[in-house]
Order: sequence, then structure tokens, then C-alpha cells
Amino acid sequence: MKSTDRAKRFSENFKQRITRQQALALAACAHCGICADSCHYYKVTGDPKMTPAYKADRIRRVFKRQFDWTGRFIPWWVGAEAVSEDEQLEELKEIFFGCCTGCRRCTINCPFGVDMAGLVSLTRSLLIDENMGPTGLIKVMRDQWTTGNQMAISDQDYLETLRWLQEEVREELDDPGVTIPVDKKGADFLYIVNPREIKYAPMSLMAATKIFHSAGLNWTMGSKGWDNTNYGLFSGKADLGRHMCNLAFTQAKILGVKQLVVSECGHGFRSMKWEAPIWGVKVETPIQVVSVLQLLAELISRGIIALDPRRNPLPVTYHDPCSLSRSSGLTEEPRYCLRRACLDFREMTPNRINSYCCTGGGGALSMTEYTPLRLRVTRIKASQIAATGAVSVVTSCHNCADGLADVIKANKLTAEVEPGVHRPVTVRTVCDCVANALILDSVSKQPLEPSKKL
Amino acid sequence: MASFQAGNITLEIDEDGFIQEPDKWNDEVAAALAKTEGVETLTEDHWKLVNYLRDYYLQFGVAPMIRKLCKDTGFKLNQIYELFPSGPAKGACKVAGLPKPTGCV
Repeated sequence: MKSTDRAKRFSENFKQRITRQQALALAACAHCGICADSCHYYKVTGDPKMTPAYKADRIRRVFKRQFDWTGRFIPWWVGAEAVSEDEQLEELKEIFFGCCTGCRRCTINCPFGVDMAGLVSLTRSLLIDENMGPTGLIKVMRDQWTTGNQMAISDQDYLETLRWLQEEVREELDDPGVTIPVDKKGADFLYIVNPREIKYAPMSLMAATKIFHSAGLNWTMGSKGWDNTNYGLFSGKADLGRHMCNLAFTQAKILGVKQLVVSECGHGFRSMKWEAPIWGVKVETPIQVVSVLQLLAELISRGIIALDPRRNPLPVTYHDPCSLSRSSGLTEEPRYCLRRACLDFREMTPNRINSYCCTGGGGALSMTEYTPLRLRVTRIKASQIAATGAVSVVTSCHNCADGLADVIKANKLTAEVEPGVHRPVTVRTVCDCVANALILDSVSKQPLEPSKKL
Repeated sequence: MASFQAGNITLEIDEDGFIQEPDKWNDEVAAALAKTEGVETLTEDHWKLVNYLRDYYLQFGVAPMIRKLCKDTGFKLNQIYELFPSGPAKGACKVAGLPKPTGCV
């Protein structure tokens, strides 16, 4: 059969781009089916086509045709098939953009550790190169390339917002000494944020400012390279991944900071911490990448800040962002903070590395065309939250925050705030809970040296 | 693409419920969209926000920064969340007929 130009290029790029880890993921699957029960898409729909093994097989057959000798000589026997028509690419698009958030829950439950997220990255990058990426995702990628941040916020708007937030916090704390420093040379750490905190939802940045100020930290924000998010991860495009990491590392280097502290963003932390070296980001001077969760836990454990949990009396639960728990191992720090900041902390089941996706991961929130299926599979997360009876679900990722808001709305989740009074469950961040519990008078004004433990 | 009924008007909406035909937006459409966001009645304060967003979008083609929204309307951040529980991006912007914001929202 004659292949279309698109299909030819796709196959050629597939051969060039596949990494050893991805090849391993494609070769190792024994089709045992354990992954089915780990995937929220399959568990809700019951559709065999939603099992991770089936989804991965759509790209695995291309691999077999090209790399496996049995696939080359007896393709019909082993289910190998070359990509030759555009319709096959459309099918891949539907699966790898629309039916998987790359949450890796199947990966940790797989006896071979088949990394589905790696296959998602590979396939998405190949499709994007054929102009087959979803419009919303492409728009965000373009904004990151051209403006350095995913919401195309101008330098002026960004800086004015920081000044405004500084005023807001000063007013709230009745303390004219509060500052949000920008480009402060010799600061101990550079704080990088999710543009959602600048454009729409700055409460978490205000909370962080309150905490850092109260702890007397020597911190700064950057006038450039301040976006911690990275659509290189969601698109599989390593060049964009590298670009976004470089912007932040360059700013850190210019300012001479020791640490880069990533605000509450799952994939942003994962990109800066773990993916950067894979994308080939070279940092000449060692700069530690730390999550704000690690910093908060340290401030509490060393007694630099004191908390009164009675300020957060209502029951809360914690949603583990996939990129922080499964992909980064940050499961205990948020719990350590919440147990001290809130009076009634309740675990969701399952939790930590077995937590279910917020359903908005992997860039799903920016791909509107797949929203109906995404909202349908919110049921599992919704029942997990409901079972705790928590009034708020706390998370440490801005993407999860909006994903969870959709879960709550789609399932009309309410909780009892006082006897007989039910309200919709709210979504909060860890910074918000900690800032709300902060005892301002008892705070030590001793500057904190960055810990070597982090 | 689904459709959305507001009185006698039928509009196309995207899968997240944002209208696709901004020209057809009017007060009736706003009130109907507000109901999908859990706002049963649009008060004077709601209208102040909605009209501001609408005018800003028509002039600049993008949603305003939350800073501009607060400064120009005089609302505090928490008041905006009280008026539109889904927040400025997914709540107020939707009711004002803006397209869905892009990125991690």
C-alpha cells in the first residue's frame, strides 16, 4: 500500500526519535491486562479500548513493523502494522491526546514498569510535527516560545501584578515592610510560578509571600524566566522543554541564587527537576531545584514558622498531583504541612503514588475537544473525595486545582460545613492552608540558610 | 460542538461551555450562562464585572489580568470569587461571553 506523505514522515521520525526507554516500554508489554484496573478511563467506561495496553498497542504495532524481526517478516502474526494512511494518524491523535493524561498510574502497577507517559510524549511529538496537535495545546506552546510564559503575559503586566500583590499583602498584614523582591541579586532562592497565579488566581502567590516574609527569607522573583510550567512535557517536544528550563536557569544564574524554588505546580516541578537533564539542559553552576512543599515542611520542622491549626477547623483531604507523587516522590511533605496547618486532615483512598489523576493532567485542560470524555471519567475521583466528607480538597498543583474544580462541578459534590448546611466542596492549595494558619507574632526573624538536606 | 439555548437564541458552545459566537451575546445569554455556573440571579455587582470583562475583551481581544479587573471595578479578590464561585477565568469570563482561557485553567 502506498503511504501518504504525512504517514511516511511520521514513520521516519518515529525511527529517528524513539529513545531506548520508549523502545523498552514498547517491547516489554506482555498484555497481562493488570494496567486496565489502574486506569481511570477504563474503570469508568469499561471499554476495552481504554485499557492502557490497548492504547499503547496502537503505537506498538508501528514499532513492531519497524524494529521487530517477527513484525517485519510475519506482521499479521504479531499484530505489526505500518502507518500508511492519515486516518491511522487521526486514530493515534484521538488516543494519545484525548484518552490518556499520562498520569503513570498504569506504569507503577505494571510488572514491567512500561512507561505509558513516555509513549504519549513520543506519539504526541510526532503528531504535532504533522500539524495534528490540538489547537489549545498548540496555542499554549506558541505563547511559551514567543513570550516565555504560557498565558502571553507582558513584562509590564507581570511586574505591575507583583507590585499590586505586594500592596494587597501589606494591607492584609498591616505591615508596610512586606516586599515581593524582583531580580534581587544574592537572594538565597528564586521563586518561579505558574502564570495562572499572575493572570487569574494570585491567592497562592499572596500566601507564599506572607509565609516567606514572616519567615524572614532572602528570596526573589525574576523579571524573566518566571514561568515554571512547561508544555514541552505535555507535547513531547524536547526543544520547548529545554527552552523553558533554560529561561529559568539563566535567570537563576544571573541572580546568583543557590536554589530555584518551584511553586505549587506538579508538571512544572517535574520538568525542572527530572526532565531538564533528559532534555539536555546544561547548568554550569549547580542550582538546586526545590519544591515549595519541601521549603514549607522545612520552615515548620525547624520552627521558623509556627502554625495554629484551629484557623483551618473544617475537614480537608489531599489530592496527590501525579507529577509530584508518582513522578517525583513528594508525598510526605504536603501531608506534614497539612497535619500541622489543619485541624482535621483526612486521607483519600487510594492515595500517594496510587492516587487517581485529577482528570485534567497532561495538558488535558487545554484540549477542549476531549472535555466530554474527561468529565465522564471524573466519577472515580469524585467518589474518592466524597468518601472523605472533606469540605475542601487541598492540592499542590494549579492544573489539578482546575481539574478538581471540574470534578466537583460535574458531580455536584457537596460537603456538610455545619450541621444541616451543605456547600460545594472547595479546592485549596497547601500554601493557602499554611498561610491561613500562620501565627504572625511568634515568627522568628532569624534568616534561614538554605538547608543542605533539601 | 454542542448548542446552547438562551430564550429564543441558539448559540454554539465549545465542550467546556464557552460560547463560540460572541456577536450573539446579550443580557439574556449572560443570565443563562450564569445559571450553568451556579449563579441563579445576576445582581448589579455581577453585571458590573460582566460588562467590564465584555468591554475589555471587545477592545483588546484578550481577558484582562486579575489586577486590572480588581483595580478597575473596585472589587477585592475574594469578592470576585464570591460573585463567581468558579473564579474569574472559568466563571466570570464564561458569563461575559469570552472564549475559554488557554493553558492550565
